[in-house]
Amino acid sequence: MDLRRLGAGAAVTIMSTRAVTIVGFVLVIAAMFLLEFLARRPGSRIPTVGQWLGYLMRPRIGRVLVLLGWWWLGWHYFAR
Amino acid sequence: MATGNVPRPPDPPGPRTGYLPWHGRRWPRARTAAIGVVLAGYAWAAGAAEPFSTTSLVFVLIPGVVVAAIAVAWPPQRIPPPEKLDITGMFYWVIAVAALFEWEASAWKDNSLPWHPSLTDLINPLLGPHLVKSVAILLWICVGWALVRR
Repeated sequence: MDLRRLGAGAAVTIMSTRAVTIVGFVLVIAAMFLLEFLARRPGSRIPTVGQWLGYLMRPRIGRVLVLLGWWWLGWHYFAR
Repeated sequence: MATGNVPRPPDPPGPRTGYLPWHGRRWPRARTAAIGVVLAGYAWAAGAAEPFSTTSLVFVLIPGVVVAAIAVAWPPQRIPPPEKLDITGMFYWVIAVAALFEWEASAWKDNSLPWHPSLTDLINPLLGPHLVKSVAILLWICVGWALVRR
């Protein structure tokens, strides 16, 4: 056996599961900010958050659900 | 010097012309500033409420009721929504939102353990300081108003 292949070798940095989870959230939220930035460029085909939320809120049920979602976020983060 | 042909500017509106003092340009700014001060005070008071208390629940209920009442009874002039959305462009958003929900759901399914925290577990400590929580509440109220206009 090749002894050079055995042993501890170079130090390996292990990322904790918690860090992986946090990085995942940061990446997704950063992607959303990037999408919003790209959507605001002239001629962009990507809709802004306001545009697609407005589109979802065209029917009354969409309006009710989006506003309920907004209120739920407030209750979840500020009342609990 | 001949001044007889110089057109006179129109007379300022008098008290009987139907012109109200708050119809001027300064009123909307003053009104906006006043509403901003009231909302900031409200957010500051709401930020001081103890979590899981009736007070904190009421502080969240009031904006919800007010926004719902405005949306139903006194809807403001709405920003016209687009007639249709670009499918490809919208798909990027669908992917991002689905990824966020999937990541959050996986943490929630695993009971939000410390090594796999949910977004709530990560955000709640950030909302600890009174100032941060108040700013977040003010932002939340502003988002509610923005949604009513959509």
